Amino acid sequence: MRFLHPTRLLLVCTIACITTNAFARGWWVWSPGKDVEDIGYAPDQEINFSHKLHAGDRKIPCEYCHSSARRSITAGIPPTNTCMGCHRFVHTEAEPIKYLTEKFNKNEPMKWTKVHDLPDFVRFSHKVHVLAKIECQKCHGEVEKMEKLEQRAPLLMGWCVECHDHKVTKTLADGSKVEHPQAPVTCATCHY
Amino acid sequence: MDELTRLEKTTEVFVGPEGLEAPAKTFVPGPYYVAIDEVIPELGNIPEEVAGDKKSFKSWIPDVDRRDFMRLFSASAMFGAASCVRRPEEKAIPYVNQPIDHVPGVAVHYATTCNECAAGCGVIVKTREGRPVKLEGSARHPLSQGGMCALGQASIQGLYHPERQKTPLIRYGKRQDPADWSSVYQKIAEKVGDSTKIGILTGGSTGFQQQFFKAVLKKLGASENNLYTWESNSLYTAIGKAHELAFGQEGLPRIEFRKTNLVVSLGSDFLELGTSPTFHAKTFTKALSYINGKMGQLVQFEATYSLTGTKASKRVVIPPGYEFTVALLLLRSLLAAEGVRGEARDKEQAKQILAQVEGELAVAEKALSFSRHDFDALAKDMLAQNAVILAGSSASFDENSTKLQLVTILLNLLTGAYGSSLLFDRGWMTQPVKIGDMERFLTEAENLDVLFVIDTNPIFSCPPSWGVKEKLEKVKTVVSVQAFPNEVDDLAKFSLPGYHYLEAWGDEQPFAGFWSLRQPAVRATTDCRQAEDVLLWVLAHLNKPFGFPDYRAYLEEQYKSVFKQTGMQADYKKFYKAILRQGFVIKLDKRTQAPLAVIATHVSYKAPTPGLKLLSPLDHRLQDGRGAHLPVLQDIGDGMTTIAWDSWLAIHPDTATKLHIKRNQLVELTTEAGTIKVAAFPLPGIHPDALIVPRGNGHKGGSKISGGVGVDPLVVYPKAKDELSASPKTSDISVKITPTNEWYRLAAMQKHNDIANRTDIVKKITLSEAASNLKKQQNLDVVPDLYPKLEDSIYRWGLSIDLNRCNGCGACMVACAIENNVVQAGREQIIMGREMHWIRLDRYFFGDVNNPDVTFQPVMCQHCNHAPCEPVCPVFATSHDPEGLNAMTYNRCVGTRYCANACPYKVRRFNWWHHKWGEIGERLQDRNLRALNPDVTVRTKGVMEKCSFCVGRLRDAKHTAKEQKRYVFDGEVQTACQQTCPSDAISFGNLNKATSKVSAERASHRAYLLLGGEPEHGHYGLKTLPNVSYLAEVKHTLKEAGSHSGQHEEKNAHHPG
Repeated sequence: MRFLHPTRLLLVCTIACITTNAFARGWWVWSPGKDVEDIGYAPDQEINFSHKLHAGDRKIPCEYCHSSARRSITAGIPPTNTCMGCHRFVHTEAEPIKYLTEKFNKNEPMKWTKVHDLPDFVRFSHKVHVLAKIECQKCHGEVEKMEKLEQRAPLLMGWCVECHDHKVTKTLADGSKVEHPQAPVTCATCHY
Repeated sequence: MDELTRLEKTTEVFVGPEGLEAPAKTFVPGPYYVAIDEVIPELGNIPEEVAGDKKSFKSWIPDVDRRDFMRLFSASAMFGAASCVRRPEEKAIPYVNQPIDHVPGVAVHYATTCNECAAGCGVIVKTREGRPVKLEGSARHPLSQGGMCALGQASIQGLYHPERQKTPLIRYGKRQDPADWSSVYQKIAEKVGDSTKIGILTGGSTGFQQQFFKAVLKKLGASENNLYTWESNSLYTAIGKAHELAFGQEGLPRIEFRKTNLVVSLGSDFLELGTSPTFHAKTFTKALSYINGKMGQLVQFEATYSLTGTKASKRVVIPPGYEFTVALLLLRSLLAAEGVRGEARDKEQAKQILAQVEGELAVAEKALSFSRHDFDALAKDMLAQNAVILAGSSASFDENSTKLQLVTILLNLLTGAYGSSLLFDRGWMTQPVKIGDMERFLTEAENLDVLFVIDTNPIFSCPPSWGVKEKLEKVKTVVSVQAFPNEVDDLAKFSLPGYHYLEAWGDEQPFAGFWSLRQPAVRATTDCRQAEDVLLWVLAHLNKPFGFPDYRAYLEEQYKSVFKQTGMQADYKKFYKAILRQGFVIKLDKRTQAPLAVIATHVSYKAPTPGLKLLSPLDHRLQDGRGAHLPVLQDIGDGMTTIAWDSWLAIHPDTATKLHIKRNQLVELTTEAGTIKVAAFPLPGIHPDALIVPRGNGHKGGSKISGGVGVDPLVVYPKAKDELSASPKTSDISVKITPTNEWYRLAAMQKHNDIANRTDIVKKITLSEAASNLKKQQNLDVVPDLYPKLEDSIYRWGLSIDLNRCNGCGACMVACAIENNVVQAGREQIIMGREMHWIRLDRYFFGDVNNPDVTFQPVMCQHCNHAPCEPVCPVFATSHDPEGLNAMTYNRCVGTRYCANACPYKVRRFNWWHHKWGEIGERLQDRNLRALNPDVTVRTKGVMEKCSFCVGRLRDAKHTAKEQKRYVFDGEVQTACQQTCPSDAISFGNLNKATSKVSAERASHRAYLLLGGEPEHGHYGLKTLPNVSYLAEVKHTLKEAGSHSGQHEEKNAHHPG
């Protein structure tokens, strides 16, 4: 039996992997707070876009830019021409705006890093939540006060269900009262 | 693979040699059978030494033994786990200039026209962010009426096919070099030069395309006759030629099933491979299938067992090549019958024809099981019920095909079908091909300097003995423009990528005065060009301007004439915009049908020779091979044999026994033209003299999907043609059949599951029983049980399938796969029983092997209210939804497969592999990432999946309803399978609403639950209470159950297994 037999080598690798993996996995799974929930996740973007300036100080409504929120599953990141609508005239000499204009002229899209990123097996529709008059801030935090956008809510299933499962009382035709969740809590609501 | 071999070698896996009290595998003859070994066991027994013949597998799986596998598996699992510690960073990339009115995440639909066959059905293309993701039949289009065939549904895979040519290629000897378009145009222009010997060879089309090609040829100084058209469905040429001879008018009659109560089909497979299959299936079902105690009749004479034949109320098996004989005999009986219609001149001609053929007919008559008395009775029926006679198909295309059509014209005149159920005087069908073009092409091809071959593949779809390839080699320059590269590209000087029809402009005129427009739904996905535009560019390089910048402009100009013809008041721009939106415009043409010309001189008859005959019908999915490169079509399997990814020889069980041929045994078929080797599949219901090898597969190279799959039967056809229409003969040739000692396993999906002789799977009732119980209602949900009551909900989704309507075409399977990102498993996986279809088509035989009834049953997840799969799941990955869905949460699934074991319907599918979504071709399952439906989660290895009732569509409909402050109304949401079904067999809706269609169907006396016992007798079966219900098949007469084994019955009683 050679020591460097492929299967043996494989076994050694496997054990090595188990150790590193157990460590990494333990860190990920059992470390408390923000590492799991991604609260406070605020990646750097191509340009430092300030929601505080636009939505807070200048009081531009959310749906002016995220116009598909009430019509579609996705809220929609505004196309560059939405930005250029104002910035053709406003602050044209500022560095970020110059960058934006250059990209726009070259017909290159902006590449934003997703802050609120749900896993691919979750189907979330902005439309119904906007229709149900849920405020944007409920999930996205006080965006109008953020200089740099960060994640404020954990966006985990338990957190979703907490709100969905909030009981409301409904009076039936026969006068009896029943409690039921204010939004569906079945699996197929989000997973399909 | 070894596992499989071992399992197969052990014939009694579950029961020891002595058996349990009630051995599960012992065969007790039941009323239904799905595989031939149930009735004739010796035909299915493969010798043990070849049962595990590894050579018959084209396998990518390396030989890994079990222990190695475990090691590798655990290691890879570890690496896999180690690599996903942190969530990946994702980019969000918005538009630079978002199109006005476009909302990301909301689908945009375009109306266009399908180009897969010459029928020209209307299609609605659903696009997401500019990418087509699903095709649906246009509900308003008179041809598709919402339905779509399997080939049309699958064509979206052709759009994203990674093997589409990326750039133009120019051939230098054996080498092919990529080139840019402008140099290609320049070089073609140089080749064309001042030559007037230019030709265009193209597929069948009914729109302005052929007119355009003729105009281009004229511009080049060539003759308009240098446009050659080729369509391998020779039915168009046979019917067209016959009508030209009979009436002197162009076109094909349009069939109007509403006006008739009896269809007599002489070998015609009009529901699958007719002149306009989806249109025929839709209208036939609406008019003649069971409704409110009434049902029309279909009498089918055929040697094969076509899918149309399964819907016959009376099916007569005739020897191959006897369709013409039957037509003449029918003519004789019809002439003698009382109250025969038609003019005296027509009758005179009929008499004359009968006098001509009398002697030979008397000889041939003896070979038929249908006596003169039967013919007389049928003739009487035909007159009483305004019968329409449809004849001919690719399965019976021989030298008599046009003569058969001529006699059929006479028959239809005598029953008075012309003017009522056959319309040749208004809105007749237009002829997509010029008759006799292939023969003309072969004689003239040698003289051509440059030939453009556009979207057609005669090298494969015309019998090789005709020498199309040799002729093409003799043409100085061949320019091939194809949407998908094919055999023509292998010899073409210029091999150019053409547009897929979803990228192209174009149109069809299926009926005279009915225009259907084709518009692009997506920008070209590769560096390809529209074939017409290539011609325009070549003209431009020759300094012979055509006057239009592109084909789109040409088309818009041509529609001005349509605009005039329709006589609409709006201005042209509005009109053109409106047809772009709707997809079509109708103003049916009218003309007077000419009186019948002298046709008796064309009709000669010789009694067919006896003996084994080879028939090669078009495959109902792949047609002549144009669908062979689409994995989803290969994967759904043939309707009748359920064989996927292959060609087979269908042979009558008795003939097989006589010749000592067993299932999966390779046999050689030899004629003077060639030899093919193909695996045998004993198929009940075909004529003992018929040997059927379907066309479609057998491509040699080219695509990784179709290359090497199956055999091409056309190889053995010597050059012969239909005498009048000059189309190639592709059936009824005598062959020598030699069994070999080699074996090849066919991937037949039935039977993968044992039906254990239950009688509550398929139910049938007679028409009289159905009519007398018409008012009777039932409640299938009242079952004594211990389960808690169902939760209250506004919706309880349910689905109902009418077995009377399903004809096994497989469109639902394709639609489901495309909608739900279902992968294609491939042949090896299917042999192992690992097909991934969320909806499968089960086929059951009933009655004598010589002429059994066939019932097709689509089976998807039954969404049981008391689902056996739910309690066994250790991680709650499958759970019950108050809306009646059996929900599957993929991210919870850990792959124990307990649920699949618990499911009595065997509808759960397990992902044994991680399917690559980047490309097709490396493995057969792989699909193009861009072709995925973004609304449905892509499953990975180790996850169970199954039908979800298209819950994504449900969710969308509910959101829309919520937005409009109402509930979802009946018919608002359609599942993918229901939407596409060309015969409207499936309905879906809310069972909690008594007025919904699906509730009414569930309450019908015909309704039953799969494995639901016989509630009327107090047997409740498995009590799973599915939300899917079936409507029993209605037959005019029921075949005797239990007699199916015929002479083999005695053997069966003692033969286990």
